[in-house]
Amino acid sequence: MQEFLDSLINQGYFAGVPRDVVYAGGMIVFGAIVVLVFVLNVAGVSTWVERRVWARIQSRVGPNRVGPQGILQWLADGIKLIMKEDVVPTAADRPLFLLAPYIVMMGFVGTFVVLPFGSRLVIADMNVGILYVTAVTALVVVGILMAGWASNNKWSLIGGIRSAAQIVSYEIPNGLSIFPIVLLTGTLSMQGIIKAQGWAPWNWFIFANPFTFAAFFIFFTSALAEGNRTPFDLPEAESELVAGFVTEYSGVRYLMFFMAEWGNLYVIGAVVTTLFLGGWQIPHVTDSVVLSAILEFVTFFVKSYFWVLVAMWVRATLPRTRVDQLMAVCWKYLVPIAFVNLLGTAAWMIVWPQGNRPVRFIMLLIALGTVGYFFRRVAYHTRRAGVRAHGELYLSPLS
Amino acid sequence: MKHRGYLGNIVDTAKTVFEGMAVTFSHLIRKPFTIQYPDRTALRVQDTLPFRYRGILEVDLEICTGCLACERACPIDCIVIDVVKDKQTREMLMTRFDIDMAKCMYCGLCSEPCPTGAIHHTPEFEGSDYSLESLIRRFIKEPVVTYKPKKGGEDDPEILPLLDRGMRYVEEFASPEGKKPEAEEEAA
Amino acid sequence: MSLAGFEVEVQKSGDTGLETEEMTLNMGPQHPSTHGVLRFVVKADGEVMREAVPDVGYLHRSIEKISEKVGYHGFMPYTDRVDYVAAMFCNQGWGMVCEKLAGIEVPKRGEYCRVIASEFNRISSHLLSVGTMVLDIGATTPFFHAFREREKINDLLEELCGARLTYNYMRIGGVAWDLPPGFVERSLAFLDAFEPLIEEYNDLITYNTIYLGRVADVAAISREDAINYNLVGPNLRASGVKYDVRRDEPYSIYPELEFDVPVGSGEEGTVGDCFDRYIVRIREIQESCKILRQCFKQIPDGPVIAKVPRKFKPPAGDAYIRVESARGDMGWYAVSDGSEFPYRCKVRTGSFAAMAIIDKISRGLMIADLVAVIASLDIVAPEVDR
Repeated sequence: MQEFLDSLINQGYFAGVPRDVVYAGGMIVFGAIVVLVFVLNVAGVSTWVERRVWARIQSRVGPNRVGPQGILQWLADGIKLIMKEDVVPTAADRPLFLLAPYIVMMGFVGTFVVLPFGSRLVIADMNVGILYVTAVTALVVVGILMAGWASNNKWSLIGGIRSAAQIVSYEIPNGLSIFPIVLLTGTLSMQGIIKAQGWAPWNWFIFANPFTFAAFFIFFTSALAEGNRTPFDLPEAESELVAGFVTEYSGVRYLMFFMAEWGNLYVIGAVVTTLFLGGWQIPHVTDSVVLSAILEFVTFFVKSYFWVLVAMWVRATLPRTRVDQLMAVCWKYLVPIAFVNLLGTAAWMIVWPQGNRPVRFIMLLIALGTVGYFFRRVAYHTRRAGVRAHGELYLSPLS
Repeated sequence: MKHRGYLGNIVDTAKTVFEGMAVTFSHLIRKPFTIQYPDRTALRVQDTLPFRYRGILEVDLEICTGCLACERACPIDCIVIDVVKDKQTREMLMTRFDIDMAKCMYCGLCSEPCPTGAIHHTPEFEGSDYSLESLIRRFIKEPVVTYKPKKGGEDDPEILPLLDRGMRYVEEFASPEGKKPEAEEEAA
Repeated sequence: MSLAGFEVEVQKSGDTGLETEEMTLNMGPQHPSTHGVLRFVVKADGEVMREAVPDVGYLHRSIEKISEKVGYHGFMPYTDRVDYVAAMFCNQGWGMVCEKLAGIEVPKRGEYCRVIASEFNRISSHLLSVGTMVLDIGATTPFFHAFREREKINDLLEELCGARLTYNYMRIGGVAWDLPPGFVERSLAFLDAFEPLIEEYNDLITYNTIYLGRVADVAAISREDAINYNLVGPNLRASGVKYDVRRDEPYSIYPELEFDVPVGSGEEGTVGDCFDRYIVRIREIQESCKILRQCFKQIPDGPVIAKVPRKFKPPAGDAYIRVESARGDMGWYAVSDGSEFPYRCKVRTGSFAAMAIIDKISRGLMIADLVAVIASLDIVAPEVDR
């Protein structure tokens, strides 16, 4: 985006305005466009997608009445929440109570500044990109703690404290799993990381060496924990704490927390795609700038949304861990393995500075083999449940 | 928990999560079980219910004998019947037959002792209304003569179908002699 | 201990002079995971509980007193509401106690119909129990799968007696309706489709490591405790005590049926933990399928109800019978004074005793475990309060 603004300045559009002001103004405008057009809509539609995906996994049909196939359901829910009465408990700590949702929103909206949607479609390609993402998502802790404390409700307090412990602990494997990638590229910038990968699967960082493969799983797990998603969704454990730290929130404030959770899910998918799966890289099929930008955007979106769907699928499958078990998983399993990954990647780079192509292909084949075995198990379960003919399957997502 | 060792725990978690996700994925491609009531069903749901379904009560006054067996059987006293003997014609007249559906618990104890099957359950279940008083079903507007079963069978063509249906309903109930409904017929 | 007025203990710890308090939480009557309206007053030190005192009575409907007004025949629909999740057993209990008072014998086919209906209800009650248990632990899909199967059983029972939850199927002296035509074929088709689905359920959640981490080794109840606190049913069998009313004090036609009594053996942790209570229920579902198949094969012809007068006046006296309900040994006691209305009726349910043991086993557990414990003991509020 900086080149775009530079080209505009050189053509004389902003005569007399200092450069920095033009950059700041451009970032605000583009940020607003991205947030309003892309982020909130994706977060909203994700709620609908999750409800449909969950429902099919649970043998039922999700929302399908409001609009074609129910796609406007999230809009109806949002409008309903906006029209609700704004309830602030009298005994609640008013300034903190009112401020908490906005800090949580800030925590996730701020990350969209560095997410690279295409080779030229990024608002600010900072050279500390991935560090910035990790830092800004940690703001969510502050917001949740404020929400839990200010609600003046013991259940919310428990939820807030649990969440603080959880997010702060899982920052560590999160960060440690990013380091192997940074070692491989030598830069923290998101665009730099993507440009160091290729468009083909065997050129992605996930298959670069076995240690980054393990780092991918560690990163995905700790990112789920950061986003308060099952199996780590204790702060909002429905069946235990009513609604955890959001118990006392209603209306627009609740909507903010909600949006933050769904948007965060997309950010997780986007960061995973950037670091491990090659980002927006596409093979060189066209010379047109616009067309390649569109293709890059679509590739990036599809790859990151796939991980959003996987997160929803995991949420439907797994039960919740208990707080002490969650801490045990983090400190006893994820952190040591993440350290081993870091050292292993460093050692790998010493032995094979240019990478090792046969190993990449072997790992790609192992991954494809696992996926194939997975579908064999799916076929086994489907057959055992009595669905014999292919025609009895119901593959269509429509209803 | 059985201690399986450090690596064993990791392998176990991976295996069970993998298996669980395979099961959920296989559900994703199966037909959902939901019946999208009320507008996306093939038939009206009331027509798909079994014959013995205990829905809202209905009384066929043409075949009601005024024996008050249902009023006595009801545990909640939600059936109120007034039977008077008409002085001139020496007939039994029913002046009131009210069933309070708000109190009724759809237990079926009233339809069991009815000799003709006049009071029976229908497959209707959508009975919600805006006021509690409208839930009291008053079946009699003007006094009605009670029905006397004729010896040699009924011959009135208007009453015969009601009586057939009523007796079929009554015969569904078990009796100590062990009379079962005909096994060859579809009793749905 | 009294429930009114909790003293907050203020402790000064060591030389830092930091004041710590125990938090008194109210897991109130309205809570998503207490099964029905139950209330627990929990004293917790952070996440670890020091005490969890149950408070019952929110669902008391004086059902036992109502029996004195409506008479023996009229009380049958009310017995459905004593435990609406497993209503057939309550029907059977009341029928049996009246038959014992008056010395009525139920015809053979009537007994078979009773057992068929009861075992179907046992399966659907256990499905509800395991489904809500995994839902409280956090897995949302197995709950829906269990309820989908429960709906199919409800369809079958709707064909049989006309209602899906409060069946009112049995009468004093037998059952109200015979099996409709086609019922046996449909039931056998359902059982054929259902048994692999229990295996699928096991694959999905039962041996999942995260789930085992939540339920194995949690709140283990020893044999002695289980017997002393009067636990019954799957709770008792999970602690290793092989006691089943159908085996040890047989009634109805259970002596003619072959089935196993699953007992908890600590396969994933200690004997009598939450996982044992869960797996005993899953195995009981499989045993009930076996029982149903035998019943459908062996059912004789004949009447299904004995001759019982409209005005039922048993001789003065009392009677106590036991039924193996889904939640354990349910005891029915009726006192008759020779008139049409019982003098006193009393129900002894398994959930009421299970509430008493919660305080003992939840010391030192975390709040998240309390939810697992309540769910694994299969406590339903209507049974506790009647």
